[in-house]
Amino acid sequence: MTRVEVDRDRCVGSGACEALAPAVFEVDDDGVLAVLRPVPGEDDLPDVRDAVAACPTRALALDD
Amino acid sequence: MAVDTADAPLDLDSIDLSDPEFWVASPARRHAVFDLLRRERPFAFFAEPVIPMLEPGPGYHAVTRYADLDAISSQPAVFCSGQGAVSITDVPADLNEFYGSLISMDDPRHAKIRRIVSKVFTPRMLEQLMDSVQLVVEDVLDAARRKAEDGDGSIDVVADIAAPIPLRIICDLMGVPESDRALVLAQSNIVLSGGDPELIEDQDDPLTAFLEAGMALAGVMERMAAERAERPTDDLTTALVRSEVDGERLTSAELASFFILLLVAGNETTRNAITHGVLALSEHPEQRARWVADPSLTRTAVEEIVRWASPVTWMRRTATQDGELNGHRFRAGDKFLLFYGAANRDPAVFADPHVFDLGRDPNPHVGFGGHGPHFCLGAHLARRELSVTFRALFDRLPDLEVTGEPDRLRSSFVNGIKRLPARLTGTL
Repeated sequence: MTRVEVDRDRCVGSGACEALAPAVFEVDDDGVLAVLRPVPGEDDLPDVRDAVAACPTRALALDD
Repeated sequence: MAVDTADAPLDLDSIDLSDPEFWVASPARRHAVFDLLRRERPFAFFAEPVIPMLEPGPGYHAVTRYADLDAISSQPAVFCSGQGAVSITDVPADLNEFYGSLISMDDPRHAKIRRIVSKVFTPRMLEQLMDSVQLVVEDVLDAARRKAEDGDGSIDVVADIAAPIPLRIICDLMGVPESDRALVLAQSNIVLSGGDPELIEDQDDPLTAFLEAGMALAGVMERMAAERAERPTDDLTTALVRSEVDGERLTSAELASFFILLLVAGNETTRNAITHGVLALSEHPEQRARWVADPSLTRTAVEEIVRWASPVTWMRRTATQDGELNGHRFRAGDKFLLFYGAANRDPAVFADPHVFDLGRDPNPHVGFGGHGPHFCLGAHLARRELSVTFRALFDRLPDLEVTGEPDRLRSSFVNGIKRLPARLTGTL
């Protein structure tokens, strides 16, 4: 089971993750990142891995 | 071809990145210099450029290797922005904040204000804007076509295409009235002129020109903010006036300085990315043909244009403590200029870095900044603007042909092009 971890001290709500994996990430109306599916399904995983790699503040990690 | 010194031998000790003339040299010459610095002297030290009425500081280190640049960007507590990120020489604190806004701030204040503004720059917000980006671009390109048809077929890529697109989009976003737009363009040009003599008439007193331009922009924002507080609309200014974090709202000074940031950062960067993109496609017709034939290339093509153009040449960081970075010892107070265009041609990261390849993938360029809290707020918007603009250019101005040399801005800070002559061959 793979879980998405967010380092809240690093996240600035840039939304880079949302652009790549909108089913899993969403910057909400307060500018705070919401993880819609903390344990993404197999189908979402490739996009989620891209999003983790693309995070401009390295705030995302996958706990495999 | 302009006479150039590109073939003159390079001598490490005669390189001076503080010499304004270096920044109007050809890109080939500048990249040759950066290649040499990156290889031989990756933390090269330079005296600060002389700015009338400011006390020159102790000098700065030019960071040209990708790994060093990214390491500095991602350690904001060690390499801070609050002492000035957009000026080499220290400027008074209030001035620094006014012109730098978020860019020249550190946490915790940076995090708070970034949260207020980041909610209006998310992919979802931009999705709602998508139609308007498309409409603005089509409108601008159609006007360029009319201008060519009414005249001798010639246009200026900068004035007729690259400048009006981001200006109109940012002004639409913020709700700037039509009557203020010419003023907004002229004043934001001055703020980001880098002292270019064409834009700063009084070369003995560039600071006054910067200050007056900033005050004019702040005046526009203050009036708009007061109007929106009374009569809210659906624009970004309204969202900024009303939004709060931890019970606090932006002060009117913060609003004004953020407006200046959006204008200068949102206009000039995208304008230069579009212009450099048009120029690069003209110099690499095989890449242009490839993109025209394959719209699915757009995602990587846009990233390559940003890497190639690196519209922002540098940001500054200042060490808050003594330490060591990749073998370089530094002291608290040392200044580092992060040269994004140099890092974007680092062969340790990019295969054939001097090749313009629209299919480059992966392309971890730092054209929007290195990893860290100051990563470009407008990256999504810029990507969207570039995608829409180039696809629309292929559709609406397929006969666009660059006819002359670019006229480069004499600025170390912005990789700017003031004019790029072109013509629409179909109108003749």
